[in-house]
Amino acid sequence: MKKTANRAQSAVLTRKGIQSTLVSVAGIIGRPVKDQDGRDLGKLVDFVVRHGGETYPPVSGLIVKVAGRRAYIDGARIAKLTKDEITLSSAKVNLSDYQRRSGEQLLDGDVLDHQIVDVNGLRVVRTSDLYLAPLDKEIRLVGVDVSFRSFVRRIFPGTFGRKPGVDQVIDWASVASLADDGGVVRTTATREALSKLRPADIADIIEDLEGREQSALIELLDPDLAADALEEMEDDELQGLLRGISDERAAELLSHMEPDESAEVLRDLDEEHSESILAQMSPAMAKQLRRLVEFDETHAGGIMTTHLLIVKESDLVSDALKLLVEHRERDISDGVTVVDSKGKLLDHIQIIELIAAKSSEKLETLVKAPFPTAVSIDTPLEEVIEEFSNNRGSSVIVVDEKGKPVGRILADDIIDAMVPAESSGLAQGTGALS
Amino acid sequence: MSSKLDSRKLRLGAFLAVMGPGIIAGLSDDDPAGITTYSQLGAQFGYQLLWTLGIATLALILFQDLGSRIGVVTRQGLIGLIRQKYGARSGMLSACALVLANIGTMTAEFAGIAAAGSLFGVSKYITVPLAAFVVSFLVLRGSFARVEKVFFLLASVFIAYVIAGFMAKPDWSAAAEGLFIPSMPLTRDALFIATATLGTTLAPWGLAFIQSYAVDKRLTKEDLKLLRVDVWTGSLLTGIIGFFVVITCAATLHVNGQTSITDASQAAAALKPLAGTLAKELFAVGLIGAALLAASILPLSTAYAVTDLTGRPAALDDKAHEAPLFYVTFGVITILAATMVLIPGAPLIRILVLTQILNAILLLPLLVYMFGIAKDSRLMGEYRASKLMLTVYAVIISIVFTCVAALIWFTVSG
Repeated sequence: MKKTANRAQSAVLTRKGIQSTLVSVAGIIGRPVKDQDGRDLGKLVDFVVRHGGETYPPVSGLIVKVAGRRAYIDGARIAKLTKDEITLSSAKVNLSDYQRRSGEQLLDGDVLDHQIVDVNGLRVVRTSDLYLAPLDKEIRLVGVDVSFRSFVRRIFPGTFGRKPGVDQVIDWASVASLADDGGVVRTTATREALSKLRPADIADIIEDLEGREQSALIELLDPDLAADALEEMEDDELQGLLRGISDERAAELLSHMEPDESAEVLRDLDEEHSESILAQMSPAMAKQLRRLVEFDETHAGGIMTTHLLIVKESDLVSDALKLLVEHRERDISDGVTVVDSKGKLLDHIQIIELIAAKSSEKLETLVKAPFPTAVSIDTPLEEVIEEFSNNRGSSVIVVDEKGKPVGRILADDIIDAMVPAESSGLAQGTGALS
Repeated sequence: MSSKLDSRKLRLGAFLAVMGPGIIAGLSDDDPAGITTYSQLGAQFGYQLLWTLGIATLALILFQDLGSRIGVVTRQGLIGLIRQKYGARSGMLSACALVLANIGTMTAEFAGIAAAGSLFGVSKYITVPLAAFVVSFLVLRGSFARVEKVFFLLASVFIAYVIAGFMAKPDWSAAAEGLFIPSMPLTRDALFIATATLGTTLAPWGLAFIQSYAVDKRLTKEDLKLLRVDVWTGSLLTGIIGFFVVITCAATLHVNGQTSITDASQAAAALKPLAGTLAKELFAVGLIGAALLAASILPLSTAYAVTDLTGRPAALDDKAHEAPLFYVTFGVITILAATMVLIPGAPLIRILVLTQILNAILLLPLLVYMFGIAKDSRLMGEYRASKLMLTVYAVIISIVFTCVAALIWFTVSG
């Protein structure tokens, strides 16, 4: 039931008649606020909107300049709102200062001319104007205008500056406004829309946002999606971002990233910061990452990914396939690593070999040449690269001193390891890969 | 052992990575317009007004430092922040004024290249289009890292001024006195040149550039310490180079009664009988390097400002179809400026004078906006400027205000 209501609301700007009732926020700021008898009380400074679960947030109050002082007037007092002025239902003005409450946003102070994310257009833009309209018995924020034309219109004085450019309006439901003061200023619709984006697009958007709004967007995203987006980001950009969010959130995001990527990020942070993030993780995850962090980036242990699907030689082909299906969202699950009864590396079996084999067969029947290239944890990067070029394989397996597989190095890990080493000097921030 | 060495290497790498925007922004203030002004300062008043250069350098250090900090902390360019904090009109006006002033300044750079080229007997119809092409190619087609290296190479030419300064055998004690003991003849010319010195050193486009560059380079708060070293170095070098230009002209032109020069190439030509052919050529080479450096940054600074105003942040790494506005702005500025220098009979002198005035006028609101941003704790957080620093900024702003007011008054009253 509720969902239908929401969908009907989402199309609010296409409703007949609504466009003529739109009021430009940029246009009415600075205009008179009058009492019921038409006497001037003061000038409008700002609108306060309250964000709850609703798609279109209602105006909860006004900030009005009365005799040189800023006063707060409750939104329930608004009797009439036109594009030129506001009329109140009573003459009584409570001359209290406005105290910002959680979940509230100032339209001129926080949103207008600030950056927002246009979720449909996949871009970061500045708000040129905001539009209010009466809807469901309240005055609500329904639209946002990001056109340059509307921005230019605002420069002009007089009635021209207050005329809404309605053909350029984007529905409020399809943007993510991230400017707030700690309160939860987002709608479910925005969250849903964001969740449909590709990680790379989100990474681009994150990089275009300024610091505070950047962390706001991260807080808003689903951890899995945010972690994927983070993996797409430039290293230095990512560092800056982690400094801007809470340790708790950072720990959550890093836990969702590939362990080798997380370790690389942690390695670059200063020790105090990385320790406080690790302290917020589950002990098992923290232990695994600590171990990875210790490995130098110039050695196999420092560049490998620890995500391996390890199976015993006595297991069945069907077990291996089941395991692969369970981990299908991991892009490195292209096969399984087979070990003997003592846990020592035997072979890496590609998914295609598993499919071709009978599902009731034991994996040991598939263990045969070509065997995977194995290197020890402390193999220098140069030797790992050499192994790669000699064997032309897509990966090498990293084993510990007892011969047990502990990780894998894929071709892209090698690229990751080589690129910063070559460009850590002047080329920082080239973004050549983006 | 080895990890310690690694971390030191890393630190040097990080330093080199950050090293740049401050030095580039600072040194490009020693462009032909700047060198002309410094030459006039020395030729007309000898060592007496060196202290105005000292104040200008101090102001440059403080505000470039502030600009880079604002860029790093807010992750936004100056024009975008002005729009956000001070509204649509302020943002639009600042952007328009900056674009106009930058076109004018760009014209001055090309004029400088044309003048320096003619010292070597090369026609401006060759040097100016060539310079426009080289600059656009370097900035737009080269990778960020390469562009930076070329910038540094160009900047190294500034050593020429220092050498010329020593060759002119200046009176060092008089120079020290002029630098540290302020005295001011209350004449129109003295006020004019003092204001011009301030305006050409602390240029609006430099302030806008350093902030946008910090954003484009994605510098983080961790980089701030190194960035500060860079900005201070760049600004100080600007002052030092200016100092040598002034004493060169004071020791040669002023002493010999040649007090009236109108452009830098005249200053260079005048050097020849006094300091030899080499000094003249060094002067000209420095002039070309300076003009190329500034001409690389000016369209960049303008393009940043325009994209910032519209809220579509663009970066050097973006492809042309990703950031059309960025590239269109860049192209228009470069082509317009080059054309103005090449059109026979274009009112060049008038354009240059108007540009200087526009720059000086624009500087004032920009400094005030930066002051407002610096004390805004919602924008700056823990990096909000202290009371002491705000007082220092305010003192500098009032000095600029006094000078600009005097300049306008003298210009209007003719």
